[in-house]
Amino acid sequence: MNKKKELLISLLKNKLGADFLTEEPASPDRLFVDIKKEALRPVVQLLLEQGGRYQVGVGYDARRNGQGFALLHTFAFDRDGLLVAVRTFSPEDNPEFDSITPIVPGAGWSEREYRDLLGLNFKGHPNPKRLVLADDWPDGIYPLRKDVPHDLMPPSAEEVAFRLDQAPAGTSVVPFGPFHSSLHEPAHFSVYVDGEDIKGCEYRGFMTHRGIEKLGQTELTYNDVPFVAERICGICGSVHSTNYAQAVEAAAGLKISRRAEFIRVVMLELERLHSHLLWLGVAGHLIGFDTVFMQAWRIREKIMWLAESLTGNRKTYGMIIIGGVRRNITSEKTEDIRKVMREVEKETMALEKAIVKDKTIHKRTKGVGYLSKEETVKWNLVGPVARARGLDIDVRRDHPYAAYDELEFDVPVTDSGDVWGTLVVRLKEIYEAIKIIRQSLDKLAQLPESEPLALELEGPIPAGKQGLSVVEAPRGEAVHYVLTGEENRPERWRVRAPTYPNLQAVPQMLVNNKLADFPIIVGSIDPCISCTDRVLLVDLREKKARIVSKQQLEKMSRQVRFGR
Amino acid sequence: MWLWNKIKQLAISWKSGVVTLRYPFEPRPAPAGFRGQPIWDHTKCIGCAGCANHCPARTIFLRDICQEIRILLYDSSRCTYCGRCADLCPEKAITMSDRYELATENKQDITQTVELFMMTCQRCGRCYDLEIKNSLDKLHTLGYRYDNLEVRKVIRRSTADFSPEMLEETSTYERPRKLEK
Repeated sequence: MNKKKELLISLLKNKLGADFLTEEPASPDRLFVDIKKEALRPVVQLLLEQGGRYQVGVGYDARRNGQGFALLHTFAFDRDGLLVAVRTFSPEDNPEFDSITPIVPGAGWSEREYRDLLGLNFKGHPNPKRLVLADDWPDGIYPLRKDVPHDLMPPSAEEVAFRLDQAPAGTSVVPFGPFHSSLHEPAHFSVYVDGEDIKGCEYRGFMTHRGIEKLGQTELTYNDVPFVAERICGICGSVHSTNYAQAVEAAAGLKISRRAEFIRVVMLELERLHSHLLWLGVAGHLIGFDTVFMQAWRIREKIMWLAESLTGNRKTYGMIIIGGVRRNITSEKTEDIRKVMREVEKETMALEKAIVKDKTIHKRTKGVGYLSKEETVKWNLVGPVARARGLDIDVRRDHPYAAYDELEFDVPVTDSGDVWGTLVVRLKEIYEAIKIIRQSLDKLAQLPESEPLALELEGPIPAGKQGLSVVEAPRGEAVHYVLTGEENRPERWRVRAPTYPNLQAVPQMLVNNKLADFPIIVGSIDPCISCTDRVLLVDLREKKARIVSKQQLEKMSRQVRFGR
Repeated sequence: MWLWNKIKQLAISWKSGVVTLRYPFEPRPAPAGFRGQPIWDHTKCIGCAGCANHCPARTIFLRDICQEIRILLYDSSRCTYCGRCADLCPEKAITMSDRYELATENKQDITQTVELFMMTCQRCGRCYDLEIKNSLDKLHTLGYRYDNLEVRKVIRRSTADFSPEMLEETSTYERPRKLEK
């Protein structure tokens, strides 16, 4: 039994008295409690005082069970290896909760999301603006409610637009995006500048919201979701499918074989390797240093080809199903992996030596995008962005999942607090990832070949069970919450990508930097807009669909180019 | 120092040389185990609909157009090439091939249709999912297949015609669920 868990339960019971409802039985490293909604704010305060790190809010429609609307907040206790989820319910006719954003600024987006998607009200939210839904989505339709079908296309609202905040006095606005050469995915930043200095910024994103969570809850079945989850992100696909599978396994109480766990680790670490090299290249490109871009991506290609031969596809591995993995890593494949690891290690070292002392990089990254450790904790940043700011957190070590409890690795931390720190952390993590892969291969060789790759499920997964899982994606901690349901599919599945908290702090990072540094600061968190938006593209804005021939399109584009 | 770094970078770039493949002019074969375009082997398929029920992208469709013919349609435009169909096929009738150059102007190029001759259930009159263990049934249907011209002569005429009511009925065909224990 986890000591912290016992302490928290007794503290909560003492403080709340009758407001403490139930505690759901769970493994020693998870705590699920239900409380009355009046007690939400004091409980969050208590958990923060106890050293909790806010992760994410999850809201869902529980009207089918007569419970109204439910809202969860999850917290991580990194030094104690404990994850806590606090659940409250609100009656159907008045779905109102206390906003916790005034005490946890990082909860701002979660609450705005449920304001849009479920129609919950948050009392005392400082900025209750639309976050997820499109500007012309009609009021009063809440897509995540159970009575709204997944393919509903309501007529769009007329004459609406997103109202951006007024720029502070003495500044002017420079719009970045939704499409901009330095952004790889659509997102709008309205940047307030005074001369060349950035004084603030407002973000409007979620332009690629695909409603994957809704799809998972209405159309797909348990074992379909991993393949769709993998497409949440173009870089860390395996992270999301592993994370989802772990959450379901935790909820259903399944224990997968050790071999499957090690294979999952190998896939996750391969993904980390290619993501870090990709980011290194992109960062080089954003500061105009294309040698880094070309060389980092050349090294990365070896990993992509290796993944292709291991799994059948260079990016969407499709290795994960509930209860295990689909393909084995045989001893011949092991040799291939070792060979590629040797090459990648050697070449990354050579590249690192050639660039770390280059003044070009230093001048563009040192002191840029500075955020203090206090601010980092306040905004609950995750991943390399947090580790570059002196915050020693890594889910792989703090909340070991898969086979990470048996593996030895270091967590690189720097305290420079700027983009340079992020670069150093990510470079060092490349070697750590290689180390982990080598250890996993050694351990895999010792395991008996007869271990099954995937479990045979005995009977259906019980309904109404909660599962919470975290995985350290290359960009930081990804959180998945699953509430199991009837009809062989989850009742609620919530995905929180690492960019979700990190992007919320970008306005803070930008303040007092030069406008020219904007791309690299936004690039430094490696923003994954699709992950964050969890977004099939349906254009609701164009009321009538038009088919344009190639010639017409060319003609139209020429007209635009010449300003006619 | 600055110059020394630049020389190192130059050395790395020089040493690695040009690595970009001259791809369309020079083929790049896929590795073994690659998950490319799935191919259905109509001689092995028993029409159990396992692939259609487990396709995460919902891109495989099965429909009974009469009592004895079941149509399997694979629409590749939405396929994610996850290979779940090939994994689950009890008869190993689906192979993930190494074809990946699938860009085309005509959707029919990448769409596959399999017409399956099925048994008719004597009770409900609908197409009958053949089971592997039932060898007698399997023997029986061999005669129903069009792939052999010799046996084509002995095909009995279908008793049912393409009645609109029956089509209506199959469009609401529900996916089988797991039985409660």
